[in-house]
Amino acid sequence: MSEYSPIVPREAIERSFAKQGPKQYTLWVDIEHCIGCNACTIACKAENNTPVGVDYNRVIEIEEGDFRDASKTPNVGVTFVPMPCMHCGQPACQAACPVGAITKRKEDGIVLINKDKCIGCRYCAWACPYGAPQFNAEAKIMEKCTLCVHRTDKGLVPACVTTCPAKVRFFGELNELTMVMREKRAKGVSISVGGADTKPSVQYTSK
Amino acid sequence: MNSLIELGLQVPVRLDSTLCSRFRSTKSECAACAVVCPAPGAVRLGDGAGNNGAEINAACVACGACVSACPNGAIRLLEDDQRVAERIAQKVHSGETFRFACNRAKGRAEMVLPCLSRLTEALVLEPIRRGAQQVELRAPDCSGCGLRKTAQQWERTLVFSQALCESAGLGAARISSVQVQVGNAEEIRLPARGPSSRRRLFGSIAERWKASGDAPLETEAGEEAEPEPFREIVKRHSENSKRTDLLRVLDALPGLKVTPKEVVTVGLPLAQLEVDSRCVGCNVCETLCPTGALTHREEGGNYALDFDAAHCTGCRVCELACYHQALHLRETVDLSLLFQRSRVTLISARLANCQACGERILGTASTFCPTCQVKASGDRRDSVARLFFSGGN
Repeated sequence: MSEYSPIVPREAIERSFAKQGPKQYTLWVDIEHCIGCNACTIACKAENNTPVGVDYNRVIEIEEGDFRDASKTPNVGVTFVPMPCMHCGQPACQAACPVGAITKRKEDGIVLINKDKCIGCRYCAWACPYGAPQFNAEAKIMEKCTLCVHRTDKGLVPACVTTCPAKVRFFGELNELTMVMREKRAKGVSISVGGADTKPSVQYTSK
Repeated sequence: MNSLIELGLQVPVRLDSTLCSRFRSTKSECAACAVVCPAPGAVRLGDGAGNNGAEINAACVACGACVSACPNGAIRLLEDDQRVAERIAQKVHSGETFRFACNRAKGRAEMVLPCLSRLTEALVLEPIRRGAQQVELRAPDCSGCGLRKTAQQWERTLVFSQALCESAGLGAARISSVQVQVGNAEEIRLPARGPSSRRRLFGSIAERWKASGDAPLETEAGEEAEPEPFREIVKRHSENSKRTDLLRVLDALPGLKVTPKEVVTVGLPLAQLEVDSRCVGCNVCETLCPTGALTHREEGGNYALDFDAAHCTGCRVCELACYHQALHLRETVDLSLLFQRSRVTLISARLANCQACGERILGTASTFCPTCQVKASGDRRDSVARLFFSGGN
């Protein structure tokens, strides 16, 4: 577990954890087979109609290996890591929000920003170790991945999941996904904020 | 059903949510009104989700304790402080003792109130302003009263008024409390629970119905208009009439000779703030301050945060909301600040651009804005993604 600058008090994060319900909808991303086409990013932008500079989902490219060392065989590779909101069990953003605009829905564990309440102070962006909340300069409020709540409420899956051509993104309830994920050695990668575990719900399978 | 129950029962107080510190920031743990309220279930505090502010329902007995307790003056009785002050002014005899008493107290008094906790500092000082020599609060033993929970409030008001009086150079002894015997047999009893009887509920519905004729109910008409979003509401800073009344009374005190008097801040509706170099100029303190005591100025690339101590109520919203914990309340406060109307500049620094994203920040602590501070590249996601790839944990 990595550590992130401890500005949000630990108690504040742990208090937010007390509100978690039994269900947790989440995403599972198989990084091993992600082809980095960014179709999820585009689908997300189209679905949520986000302005330039605001991306709820972003695919990060990681290059590794070395080919300049003549004594070794070239061993280079690129891995693509799609980064949506982690819909944490203990959201640091919720703990940081001064006006209570961020809530974790009890019925499905989706972390949402209330656009009517948000005052655009960016505290959530400062607190989130995953860089999920984005500042919408037009509306002067914060936005982030909603797990396409307008679709999931109707029983559909998020736009990024339907679009993914490589079929590496899956949507479901965390406990129901567990069976598949155990087989695939999936895990969440947690970064603690101020000593408290954020408990991200989004799961990744890496090589 | 809830709207039906609340339909006809008039709440004897008015609550201005924009002044309530709980409403403005969920970080505020203010419960001043709930602590002193003697009526069970009359004050409902929000739980953090949705509206976090205080709500007062028809179980209210109109004792006025919350009016006196709320530092921000968010709660007002239908007979507001202004009118009570006028009534006091009519009864003051210059150079004599002015006696406040509650309903249960024995003996004569210039002004009898349902409960002494109705008194605010401004009302206690009003007779002195009108020329009275002494102010006396005549109270019987509160432990036998149905409103006993409010006793702490009038005692607190008394202590603060004495301190103000001393700071004004008039001496604390001019305000005193006297314990008297219970004279009035009429005991104040609170309803056991619930706002009202069924008879009263249906009676009030019938009255409403008659008054409205065939017109549709108010609640239906109200649903048409879209509610104003919270972020627009917090931009407004209503006037804290309780504090303006107090300042008006303090200014007009005869024989005023202001002397500095340092007192401990805890429990007082007054504070002095300090801002250190961690401030990034995000203006959240200014936005969320219920009374508008904090304001900022931007002149020629310079940022300054101004503080008006006379209007600060010590509600701690700014201190709790500040992300970088740059703002603090001083442990002691000088009461003479209430007599001066000066604005203090808490911090003044040059605005710089963040080296990574260009965002305007106060460059006192770092050359990067808080979003970019983790990594100079500007995208936090990039550094996190590496963790997933390398197996994370």
